[in-house]
Amino acid sequence: MNLSLIDPFVLAQDCPDVITGRLRSGHSTSIRFSHRGDLLASGRHDGIVVIFDIETNGVARKLRGHTRQVQSLSWSTNDRYLLSAGQDWKCVLWDLQDGSRVRTVRFEAAIFIAELHPKNHMLFVAALFEDQPVIVDMTEQVPVKHQIPSAPRRSQVERENATEKQNAQDAKQTTTMTLFTPSGKHVIAGTNKGWMNIIDTETHEVKYSFRVTNNIIVYIRLTPSGRNIVVNASDRIVRTLHLPDFSDPKLDFDTLQLEVEHRFQDLVQRLSWNHVSFSPSGEYVTASTWMNHHIYVWERGQGSLVKILEGTKEELSVVEWHPSRPFVAAVGVDSGRVWLWSILQPQRWSALAPDFVEVEENVEYIEREDEFDIQPLEELHKRRLDQEDEEVDVLTIEVKGSAAESGAVNGEPEFMMPVILDIENSDSEDEVVAVGAGQFRRRSPGAGREWMNDDEVAVSGDERRANGTAVQNGTKRRRG
Amino acid sequence: MDSPPKRSREETEDEYDDAPPRKRSSSRSPHNGSPEYRLAERPARRYSRDRDNSVDDSADERRYYERRTPSRSRSRSNSRSRSQSNTPPPRKPTALNYTPHLILRGHKRAISCLKFSPNGLWIASGSADATIKIWSSSSGALEHTLEGHLAGINTLTWSPDSTTLASGSDDKSIRLWDAQTGLAHPTPLIGHHNYVYSLAFSPKGNMLVSGSYDEAVFLWDVRAARVMRSLPAHSDPVSAVDFVRDGTLIVSCSHDGLIRVWDTGTGQCLRTLVHEDNAPVTSVKFSPNGKYILAHTLDSCIRLWDYANGKGKCIKTYQGHTNAKYSLSGAFGAYGSRTGSRETYAFVASGSEEGGVVLWDVSSKNVLQRLSGHDEAVLAVDTHPKEELLASAALDRSIRIWKASPLPEARVKQETSNGYDPDVLPPNPFATDSPTWFGACGTLTASTSCASFVA
Repeated sequence: MNLSLIDPFVLAQDCPDVITGRLRSGHSTSIRFSHRGDLLASGRHDGIVVIFDIETNGVARKLRGHTRQVQSLSWSTNDRYLLSAGQDWKCVLWDLQDGSRVRTVRFEAAIFIAELHPKNHMLFVAALFEDQPVIVDMTEQVPVKHQIPSAPRRSQVERENATEKQNAQDAKQTTTMTLFTPSGKHVIAGTNKGWMNIIDTETHEVKYSFRVTNNIIVYIRLTPSGRNIVVNASDRIVRTLHLPDFSDPKLDFDTLQLEVEHRFQDLVQRLSWNHVSFSPSGEYVTASTWMNHHIYVWERGQGSLVKILEGTKEELSVVEWHPSRPFVAAVGVDSGRVWLWSILQPQRWSALAPDFVEVEENVEYIEREDEFDIQPLEELHKRRLDQEDEEVDVLTIEVKGSAAESGAVNGEPEFMMPVILDIENSDSEDEVVAVGAGQFRRRSPGAGREWMNDDEVAVSGDERRANGTAVQNGTKRRRG
Repeated sequence: MDSPPKRSREETEDEYDDAPPRKRSSSRSPHNGSPEYRLAERPARRYSRDRDNSVDDSADERRYYERRTPSRSRSRSNSRSRSQSNTPPPRKPTALNYTPHLILRGHKRAISCLKFSPNGLWIASGSADATIKIWSSSSGALEHTLEGHLAGINTLTWSPDSTTLASGSDDKSIRLWDAQTGLAHPTPLIGHHNYVYSLAFSPKGNMLVSGSYDEAVFLWDVRAARVMRSLPAHSDPVSAVDFVRDGTLIVSCSHDGLIRVWDTGTGQCLRTLVHEDNAPVTSVKFSPNGKYILAHTLDSCIRLWDYANGKGKCIKTYQGHTNAKYSLSGAFGAYGSRTGSRETYAFVASGSEEGGVVLWDVSSKNVLQRLSGHDEAVLAVDTHPKEELLASAALDRSIRIWKASPLPEARVKQETSNGYDPDVLPPNPFATDSPTWFGACGTLTASTSCASFVA
């Protein structure tokens, strides 16, 4: 509701400018904004998932369950559930209502990424290291994993002419990146040979394949509309493509032709890109740079570099754009801090003193005809009261477009994460403990890891059965 | 400690007691704000325009306990006859019939604040006796008495999930309470240098905004119990703060006569509303849809501001109550059919220093009902979030709960004119010596009376 009062020139700025803050809780390795943008999930090096409140820049919740670094995070559409994938080869679905684990799914391989289905939070797709990707249905206590193919779709002619070698190569392809389209009907997968596959969620059949590059696809991101895609590949080029509406039933995959819209690269320094993301409208593409301290921002309309965000003294890994504001968060590789870039808003002095007006140049004041007339106060007062005759509606709440889409479609009220009034959960600098007046030491590595013993956290059936062995393994593998 | 009425305004400059209220603006010197001075002068913390009521310490206690006979007998049966000159829109009720439902007693001193919980189950009340009581809103049973503050309670606010209650007190601290167990949260929010006078939770419950006599507005991170942001708000005690329904705006008001609207995210002032008369503002509240601001001022007016359009404009002035001394607060309520959105109208409820509660229609500014029953000034009024219930708390240490009843036939009559009863002396701040002026023209319609005076 503040939009109507903010200077339109400030609102017109849609690209962040300067570092406006930083968040710190442990050593962060991956971050993801919630869909409404009020929370930021941060996966830590020690396996704890921290939920930051962007409004207060404080820790809102800590989720303990992983024993190794958190690899990827994914929010459900209503922002109530969070899926985290860890380097301990498991995915955990968290319920932020009470911080409990709804499901824990174990894999026999390392997980590149796990993404929740946009409509069904009990379904996710995961890309695995040297294994075929899986769609996992967690509706039942025991999760069901469906393997989906990595080999690109070949046409009839291609299949007939295929050589032995080609077939062997196709079979060797693995998927490095998976995500759902916004409708959830298709999975977009990127392979280690540079193919992008469109896979049907229901039939697990590859509907369409397109070779974006010859190198490994590292990361893929869609705009919220799903019509634009950005692909980061290991050949140091960030590509954007325009996609058709996959949920359109009339779409014919056989005649579909995709084209690379832009190639963003740094030809001089030959920079390679750690992570890419879109601005909420898809207007800008950001990428963090490998072995470098900068975040590049390109404009997609012209295909030109518009800004380089800097100010940190460390390399940045994951870079994320806020879902509605010109606000970028990025993780520092060395410190594990989350750096925030935004726009600084100047105070308008005319807002403080309503009878002052900011003018560009001198204005000659023309006095009103009756400005200094003396009028009886009673009459003024009476007249003023009589002018107050408009109809006023103080009750009807105007629903803005975006809010209506997110909340009203499902018919359920917006999820609000409960506020925990617990200092222990809110401390941000938790590796440092006070040992005396003005004296601090680093917290010993094992301290505060009692959660690994896994008693107080509610666990699903799967978790409970695997409990004995898993916990021992986790403890043994723990880094000192 | 001899605690004064919490909701009285401190004003030690004697000239105001004599000066006509409208001339007070420019000559007012800034508040002398050292805490020692305030503590010493606490019994005089009141803003008085009563010429006969001298500003002395002994008068305070008396004001608590003396039974004021209402200046006018108000009966709910309503024998007033009104001349009928204009026809209102069809079927819109022109009167409300709230009837006494419960009386809650238990506080040992005057009650300064009262809030329904957002889920509607409880009523919390804070008193000058330094305790907070939580009552069941349906049965009126006392659920908890929260003790822990060292001085009188000024303000209360419920977290949006109704689990936590925050209270601000004259002991300069803000405390959080678990409403289910009645236990205080171990760490109070400490940071204000003077009385905490007003509090509001953000709609998500993660932030708390507080206004204090130290002239600052603090924005607190509730989870970490630390000050997130301090807004350099005002040059006089901050008398009220509120959050808009989506949490992006904060409004604050002060005895310096200004209402300021702030951006929660950046902490910048986006708008300042000031009325020409510059009367001290004692309460601000966003409308339920967040488009307007309701402000009480010590010139016996309640104003509804449209803060968004242009430079902010006062669009309604509600009169008919007395408010010259205490920080009264008001509330919005709905009447008419609650199911059909078209037939729901809004009313404004506020206490009066004469001991009544006045309900106005938001659009027409007509008085819909006057509730009498309290013996002394009604400081706090709140409406139930879902049901048609109204609660009021007064200096007479009682809480009254009122329930809407169907209108008796005789009651269905129109009130005319500009927000006050024609046969009651109008509380026009300008008409101190000629109060009959409004009465004479009160029966005219709005347009004709305006025309006649211009001519």
